[in-house]
Amino acid sequence: MIRRLRRITPFQVILVTVFTALAAFMSLPIVFILNHAFKPTNELFLFPPRFFVQNPTGSNFEQLFLHATNATVPFSRYVFNSVFVVALTLISVIVVSTMAAYVLAKYQFHFKQLILSLITLSLMFAPETVGIPRYLIISGIHLHNTYLGHILPSLASPIAVFMLVGFISQIPGELMEAARIDGASHIGIFTKIVLPLAVPAIATISIFTFQGVWGDVETSTLFMQDETMRTLAFYVNSLLSGLQNSVAGQNVAAAAGLLMFIPNLIIFLLFQRKVLETMIHSGIK
Amino acid sequence: MGSITFNHVFKQYKGESRPAVNDFHLSIEEGEFLVLVGPSGCGKSTTLRMLAGLEEISGGELYIDDKFVNYVSPKDRDIAMVFQNYALYPNLSVYENIALGLKLRKTPKYEIELRVNRVAKILEISHLLDRKPSQLSGGQKQRVALGRAIAREPQVFLMDEPLSNLDAKLRAQTRAEIIKLQSDLKRTTVYVTHDQVEAMTMGTRIVVMKDGVIQQVAPPKRLYDEPANLFVAGFIGSPQMNFVEGSVTREEGRYYFNNKRMKLLLPSAYDGLFDRMNRAVRNVVLGVRPEHVLLKTPEPDDDEKGFVTSAVQMTEVTGADSYVYVTVGESKIIARTDPGTAYRNEDKPAIGFNMSKLHFFDENTGISLADGGDEE
Ligand SMILES: Nc1ncnc2c1ncn2[C@@H]1O[C@H](COP(=O)(O)OP(=O)(O)O)[C@@H](O)[C@H]1O
Ligand SMILES: [Mg+2]
Repeated sequence: MIRRLRRITPFQVILVTVFTALAAFMSLPIVFILNHAFKPTNELFLFPPRFFVQNPTGSNFEQLFLHATNATVPFSRYVFNSVFVVALTLISVIVVSTMAAYVLAKYQFHFKQLILSLITLSLMFAPETVGIPRYLIISGIHLHNTYLGHILPSLASPIAVFMLVGFISQIPGELMEAARIDGASHIGIFTKIVLPLAVPAIATISIFTFQGVWGDVETSTLFMQDETMRTLAFYVNSLLSGLQNSVAGQNVAAAAGLLMFIPNLIIFLLFQRKVLETMIHSGIK
Repeated sequence: MGSITFNHVFKQYKGESRPAVNDFHLSIEEGEFLVLVGPSGCGKSTTLRMLAGLEEISGGELYIDDKFVNYVSPKDRDIAMVFQNYALYPNLSVYENIALGLKLRKTPKYEIELRVNRVAKILEISHLLDRKPSQLSGGQKQRVALGRAIAREPQVFLMDEPLSNLDAKLRAQTRAEIIKLQSDLKRTTVYVTHDQVEAMTMGTRIVVMKDGVIQQVAPPKRLYDEPANLFVAGFIGSPQMNFVEGSVTREEGRYYFNNKRMKLLLPSAYDGLFDRMNRAVRNVVLGVRPEHVLLKTPEPDDDEKGFVTSAVQMTEVTGADSYVYVTVGESKIIARTDPGTAYRNEDKPAIGFNMSKLHFFDENTGISLADGGDEE
């Protein structure tokens, strides 16, 4: 062990130092959010601002919940809406995207190239440009104030399909042929071979789909006029914009910021480990 | 059970100008170990994949056990296939890999266990059953792949270059094991390889292919002794058969092989061949295997005995034999000699052929003159 330590070269020392510094720098926002949420009011307005909290307090959260209980719709309703919508969207996006990607990656059929090009093309649209057509479609099929109205717009995820097509086409065709000879049906091949091997890619798309849907306010703003159908992200957002300039608003904002951030972090850590694990252990080839 | 018939089978890939498999016509008997051999791209895999049902047949009919199977899906053909890259399911353990085919066929659980364990014992992989494929060496992976095929107990085994990812020693060992397995199980096996040594040692019958066309079908010894054409003659055997171009003439009732440097009196055993080649000018390619080339120190009466002077270019010692590369005029000839006699470069030994072991091919068509056209 000691002998191994001695063999560390100056280059390695520099490398580790640089990367540690870089990692510390990149994690600053997270540190800030974590500390900020627990700062008492006087520390929130400190100038120059500090990263670390001196006298941590939970009063910001108290304020947030106090504020929430005064609202017309209970806080729990927003939480439920968010969790429900995110869960359902995530599951549907995974199901739809993996199935579409499997077929696009591994089967030959007419207009396949055209479909692939269309998917690539749709990657280039900024979200703003599709806002109005999306609104027209949602109102046209009367999905206002329904959960389907939350889920449907994010269901077709070109970026997810695009990534999965790339990943699944790396899976050797021989595996599927072996499974066909073994007697697996198309569904069998998909669920037993393709899905398990695509876990790293599925984890990746889950992370950004979650982040997109969890933080989305547009759907609640545009398609949900009924306050009981709106999500946590919308609530927090409106809270912040309503209270931006008041002193009390800063407390609530800091707490809400953390509250919105925590699930992202959890999901990321959860799936990121899965990404690494499968990449290390499965070794497709 | 397990007989296969190809009736004029064609495969034409979309967008390709010529067929990948061209008029493949062959019957394979039950229990036979048939090897498809040929250079890369000659259509071996395509043929095997059509047999497996992984590739559509463009023309002709395929029968397994006299049942027309052109449109039967792979899982209903009662076949198992071993792939070059093993194609083990990376997410499943060795046990599950072997068991999957049985599970999908609704085999009772106790029987799956029985069969997997039996197969694992035969292949000596019992201690690996809990591992994932990524934790296995190449040789172990190939055993698992074999195990997966055997456990299903299909009528026909298909193997596509299963040994080409293994190192030389392991390849020889696994080759012997496959031969033994096949003779124990007595199941029809179609084995694809580009390696003629593998083909010669494994097959009870060998199909040599080139550009999608069958060149010759014969047992190994016959393939070696009576190649049907120049391609087969050159492909089978290492180092390859020597070829010398020339013409055959008839003088005073005897046939002679001539070119600028040689004039060989041919034994009358060959007369029939040349009589049949009823032409004024008989341009031929003479073929002779390295072991039938004789080298000796020059003597004055060499001419009469059919020896000519050669020049040594290079010597290759493999241990048991040594191969001497010589030139005679423009022809390059390899001779197998016993390593006891050392030849140095620029030596000028006399060279002659074992006259009873010559092959003659039509220079234009490349077809063996001995090939009466009644080859099976
Ligand atoms: N999927 C395919 N599409 C088009 N051409 C193919 C395809 N697979 C093989 N070929 C062509 O068919 C010929 C035979 O290929 P293959 O059967 O794989 O040869 P081998 O196994 O003898 O090396 C080759 O010329 C190859 O390029
Ligand atoms: Mg091949």
